[in-house]
Amino acid sequence: MRILLIEDDRLIGDGLNVGLNRLGFTTDWFQNGEDGYEALSSAPYDAVVLDLGLPDKDGLSILKDWRKNKHNEPVLILTAQGDVDQRIIGLDSGADDYLSKPFALAEVAARLKALIRRSSNCLVPEIRYKDIVFHPDTKTVEKEGKLVVLAPKELMLLELMLMNRNKVMSKDILENKLYSWDEEVQSNAVEVHIHHIRKKLGKGIIKTINKIGYIMED
Amino acid sequence: MKDLSLKQRLIISFCVVAIGIWGGSAALSWYESREYVNEFYDTYQLHLARQLSTADWSNIKPGTQDRVNDLIEELEDDGEDEDEALGLAVFDKNGEMIFNDDEDGKYFVFNPKASGFVNQPNGHKGKMWRIIWMKSVDGDYTIAVGQELKYRNKAATEMVEEAVGPWIIGLAILLLAIIFLVTKELRPLKRITKNLSSRGADDFSPLSDKEIPQEIKPLISSMNELFDKIDKMLVRERSFISDAAHELRSPLTAMKVQLEVAELAGDDKETHEKALANLTQGLERVSRLVEQLLALSRLESNAIRYKEFAPLDWASIMDNVNKEQKQLAEEKKISLTSEISEPYFINEGQSFLWSLLLRNLIDNAIKYSKEGADIRIILNSEKLSVSNNKITLNSKNIARLGERFFRPAGQNINGSGLGLSIVKKIARLHNCEMQITVQGDIFTVTINRVE
Repeated sequence: MRILLIEDDRLIGDGLNVGLNRLGFTTDWFQNGEDGYEALSSAPYDAVVLDLGLPDKDGLSILKDWRKNKHNEPVLILTAQGDVDQRIIGLDSGADDYLSKPFALAEVAARLKALIRRSSNCLVPEIRYKDIVFHPDTKTVEKEGKLVVLAPKELMLLELMLMNRNKVMSKDILENKLYSWDEEVQSNAVEVHIHHIRKKLGKGIIKTINKIGYIMED
Repeated sequence: MKDLSLKQRLIISFCVVAIGIWGGSAALSWYESREYVNEFYDTYQLHLARQLSTADWSNIKPGTQDRVNDLIEELEDDGEDEDEALGLAVFDKNGEMIFNDDEDGKYFVFNPKASGFVNQPNGHKGKMWRIIWMKSVDGDYTIAVGQELKYRNKAATEMVEEAVGPWIIGLAILLLAIIFLVTKELRPLKRITKNLSSRGADDFSPLSDKEIPQEIKPLISSMNELFDKIDKMLVRERSFISDAAHELRSPLTAMKVQLEVAELAGDDKETHEKALANLTQGLERVSRLVEQLLALSRLESNAIRYKEFAPLDWASIMDNVNKEQKQLAEEKKISLTSEISEPYFINEGQSFLWSLLLRNLIDNAIKYSKEGADIRIILNSEKLSVSNNKITLNSKNIARLGERFFRPAGQNINGSGLGLSIVKKIARLHNCEMQITVQGDIFTVTINRVE
């Protein structure tokens, strides 16, 4: 899941960036509002973490402008202010959830997962597909009741396919969702991951539609 | 008297004065009445004596006295005769009493030398009498007409009492009026006292000066000014505390997140170490923030006073600060040059504050300039200025510099956002002002005296 992180404080931003990556997210981190604002249109993000106290372009106006331009990505706002007004204004301006500083990394991750789950209309904490059970919280996969170990990117890919069942996912989209701009992507990376998933979970799990992409059919 | 309230003092003073004046005038009027009574009765006695002196006393017979006594007794019953305590007696050449009024006159003691008015005791009970002694026309007899002095005093007192009766009622009314008026006039003070004592600790609304006497209005307006000052100070303190708490949240969040990253890193040594290094930076940031907050709060509370000012040793101040900042500057390949020329624009002050000011300015100059920049410190008779080129600030940020807790975006992680606030405060404390100018890529902070 790819997250857009906009936070001007270097230490907090760095912590969230590294930490969320460790927790299985793909993040792009921007330290100023202008760049962060533009970034949302340039990649398929699943959620946004937005600090309201930005020095150049204020977080609230970024949020309002996004919503005006029909960006529906779930947004988690970070407020330094403990006061209720700031949160209300934030939520009214289109935020989906908020966290007040000081917060814990684990809480940011949990809220992001909840937001993404809600936005993809997948409200159950576990996803079942044929003989496979996927637990988004713990990032674990079971096949016929037995735990199967997947690499982080494979997990991300599986989760993406499970959330977008019966939809053809192009190789480009998958690549963009899995990798941030900082990471180097090999041209056959997606194919390799699909190959590994099929090997571990069964050949028929993901179908290839030639020259278009991949699909997971019910 | 010292411990009494203003109201009690006023009432007591007014009452004492009123009673004193009343008593004084009563005494004066009694004295004048007595004078008048004396004059009146003296004249009366003189008339009586003169009439008696023209009578022919030579052929007075032994039975005359008794006959006169009977006549008087007969008369007594039908006239409105007031006993005026008068007495009369007639003596012959030998001092023998040949006639009297059968009352007090009987006891007159013959006084051969006396002539005119004499105050003397009479033979009965020894009371003091005022007696006029006069020779008869033929010179053979002596006439004595007297009156008891006590009676005269009594008459004077009666006269005064009659006049003074209404005065006593007047005095009582006056005293009541004093108590009532003093109480009424002091009521606004009582109201203010009640208002003040029932106030909450954070209520600084001004006192109303409606119906307040002119004399107290300045006091009320001074109190209102004081309330206003305290209120503003409290608002300042509160916003400072909330700003400070707010500023502490960011580094605390950073440290919390970095600690979690360190825990998550597991076997990944590089991530682990980086997170710990970030954690240390966060700690440094908090320490510096707390340090600056303390400095600023000391400056804002005016704990530093003019009397603590001493001559400034600029050479050593510049030297020390330069030494401190040298390493930091060298790390960024920044050159530090200072141009000092005597006399200086300021010679007295607190040297540790000027060190703090200079350190903040140089610190900022190093932080907000690119590698290889030049920092120039100028100290002369007009100003102290610190300037650096190759700035990293944009024009939007420059306008906001000096605002408490404002920090330009991103790059600087150790700034507290308080540096220029501190510089501003220190300058103001020394009657100086801070000016920021930007020319091209050269940023200058100038401190000079306020004219």
